[in-house]
Amino acid sequence: MDNKGSSLKGSLLLLLLLASNLLLCKSVASLPICPSGAVNCQVSLRDLFDRAVILSHYIHNLSSEMFNEFDKRYAQGRGFITKAINSCHTSSLSTPEDKEQAQQIHHEDLLNLVLRVLRSWNDPLYHLVAEVRGMQEAPEAILSKAIEIEEQNRRLLEGMEKIVGQVHPGIKENEVYSVWSGLPSLQMADEDSRLFAFYNLLHCLRRDSHKIDNYLKLLKCRMVYDSNC
Amino acid sequence: MKENVASTIVFILLLFLNINLLNGQSPPGKPEIIKCRSPEKETFTCWWKPGAQGGLPTNYTLTYHKEGETVTHECPDYKTGGPNSCYFNKKHTSIWTIYIITVNATNQMGSSSSDPRYVDVTYIVEPDPPVNLTLELKQPEDRKPYLWMKWLPPTLVDVRSGWLTLQYEIRLKPEKSAEWEIHFAGQQTQFKILSLYPGQKYLVQVRCKPDHGFWSEWSPESSIQIANDFTMKDTTVWIFVAVLSAVFCLIMVWAVALKGYSMVSCILPPVPGPKIKGFDTHLLEKGKSEELLSALGCQDFPPTSDCEDLLVEFLEVDDSEDQQLMPAHSKEHLDQGLKPTHLDPDSDSGRGSCDSPSLLSEKCEEPQAKPSTFHTPEGIEKAKNPETNVTRTWDPTSLEGKIPYFHVDGSKSSTWPLPQPPSQHNPRSSYHNIADVGKLAMGTAGASATLLDKTDKHVLKSSKTIETGGEGKAAEQREVESFPSKTDQDTAWLLPQEKTPFISAKPLDYVEIHKVNKDGALSFLLKQKENSDQTEKPSAPEHSKEYAKVSRVMDNHILVLTQDPRAQNLALFEEPAKEAPPPLLQKDLASFTATPSNCRLQPGGLDYLDPADFMHSFQ
Repeated sequence: MDNKGSSLKGSLLLLLLLASNLLLCKSVASLPICPSGAVNCQVSLRDLFDRAVILSHYIHNLSSEMFNEFDKRYAQGRGFITKAINSCHTSSLSTPEDKEQAQQIHHEDLLNLVLRVLRSWNDPLYHLVAEVRGMQEAPEAILSKAIEIEEQNRRLLEGMEKIVGQVHPGIKENEVYSVWSGLPSLQMADEDSRLFAFYNLLHCLRRDSHKIDNYLKLLKCRMVYDSNC
Repeated sequence: MKENVASTIVFILLLFLNINLLNGQSPPGKPEIIKCRSPEKETFTCWWKPGAQGGLPTNYTLTYHKEGETVTHECPDYKTGGPNSCYFNKKHTSIWTIYIITVNATNQMGSSSSDPRYVDVTYIVEPDPPVNLTLELKQPEDRKPYLWMKWLPPTLVDVRSGWLTLQYEIRLKPEKSAEWEIHFAGQQTQFKILSLYPGQKYLVQVRCKPDHGFWSEWSPESSIQIANDFTMKDTTVWIFVAVLSAVFCLIMVWAVALKGYSMVSCILPPVPGPKIKGFDTHLLEKGKSEELLSALGCQDFPPTSDCEDLLVEFLEVDDSEDQQLMPAHSKEHLDQGLKPTHLDPDSDSGRGSCDSPSLLSEKCEEPQAKPSTFHTPEGIEKAKNPETNVTRTWDPTSLEGKIPYFHVDGSKSSTWPLPQPPSQHNPRSSYHNIADVGKLAMGTAGASATLLDKTDKHVLKSSKTIETGGEGKAAEQREVESFPSKTDQDTAWLLPQEKTPFISAKPLDYVEIHKVNKDGALSFLLKQKENSDQTEKPSAPEHSKEYAKVSRVMDNHILVLTQDPRAQNLALFEEPAKEAPPPLLQKDLASFTATPSNCRLQPGGLDYLDPADFMHSFQ
């Protein structure tokens, strides 16, 4: 009789323990996707990186197409490439130039670098859209891509800030970015000069978007998949 | 002397030049850089094409400088890439940087340089094909076998760190086939093929593409032989089926050949044509419905003889100007009173309860001042008072339409517009009656009375005759039409007028006045209807043979009924000032009025006749 009672108590206690364990364990696992605006929501780093990489890949595809279309339509035979040497406003940012350098840099620094490059392009993209719209016979394909790139760039910036907030929260660095001063060139009266200004801007955009895409893929494999993609 | 020396020197120089030219020696032609490629985005190679040789050994050098630098470098490796190539190793390769590359050709005679080529390694990535393609035929127990293929990324490409992301594509075909079947495999390094032809040898290839670069070449072919283990079973089955079918066909052919036609007819009997006994389609084409129907074995249409029980006495209609309606009625019917009759063209129309609007507009229970075409109902309403004699009820002044209603008693006749008991059917008879009445009405110039003949057969016939008649139609029609004009409705009166010239040469038909209900409607019985039907009225038996005949139609559209010559003449209704033989009428009508207005409108009975139905019947 006593044994029965004690065994019953024991099983009840066990059940209680089990239930409490489950409740506690729940908080450790990664939470599902958060609705926008939620404060205490935690999207997993894997999801954040997956989304960021998708966005950066998409942005580079658009930039590449936009550049090729502009080149084919406006820049044939003008030799713009010869002049577009070392003319990107983001060249002042010391970005890694090959795989070894990129792998040696610390992931936090690389993340900050990505943020800086992204921020440096907010202003130029805005003006690019405005100026392409104002172009004579505004090419619809180029304009629509520019608008799309501007929007996706903003979203990528938000995502990156979330990632940085997760990776090393609390550290808020000064918003460093390269200032773009190419607006007057975009508005020049001389058609040749103006077209070169557009060419240059699109050329730099294509390059920088590729950089961002590459860095993010490196970071994803390193941080989420432990260098085993 | 001097001139001679000068000319000699010039001559010698020219000679040398000519000798050289004759030898074919010249400075090298301009080389051209044809292609620069990077297999993994860490190194790259450029190839050039030499220009015209110039006949002398030419030395090629490649020089370059990078974006943002001023120092010019020379190619670090001319060997690795093969002849006329330059290989840039990892140390010398910078990504996201433009290289300006030039090739110089030098020989004894001179040198020449190629156009500068601007190269960014970022955009010239073309990897090697994937390696280690392995094929395996997997055969799970309960499923079809499938082809399982695996491969590895090219050795040089660094996928694990994420420096390059590769996507793959495979293609396969049976050995003998000419078309390749291509499948995109995404970023996975294995693939399953589920649809295979057994017994074939398959060739498979795979290639890859970096995330922002060019497709690689196809890998070398791998082949695999698919066993055809289960095809034997299929073949046996098919052979068996084929043999059986052949045997069956042979039997059929033999049977047909032997039996000939009879066999065919046995299998495919001839389709009989449609045939109706006595039906001659030619008659139908001619449009002679009577003959046609007679061929079908029908009675006269309208039927005349068979339905004895449906026979009613018809109103005699006279062609003369003062045609008098001679409604035939039995004395007992008279006693029973007249009931308004209404047409019931079909079982569904015109019927209603006492609540439904009716031409009579007054129900049995309560008179309703319905603006029906037949204002006689209104008149009938006034006849509610059982004391009023028929004449009063039929007060023409009270009646706008002045259309007397004769209610044909009996289940078979439908009164119009009074609601018909549901048991009543045979609308034809009512039409017929109305037609007759209409005829009479027409004849009396203005008074239209609807006398309903119950007999089905007679209806159409009479309507026919009505239609065939034609004298004085216009006048009559006008008169009849005046009724509806007063009533503002297309009434059944109008219908017969439109459709049938009421004047008919038909001999007078008679109806039996069955009774008059409280509303003053006259109900007619079928001619041979038993008096027992008129149970309401205790009518003297001698009245059964009395007939009412419309002597004339009054100005107020009142039918003056007289009794049949055989019987008494009855004036069914008249104006108070009418000179119809009142005594008789009153006598008879009194009997009518005495009849409690048996509301023929039974619950659910017909209250009115739909003019549309009337029209329909008269078509």
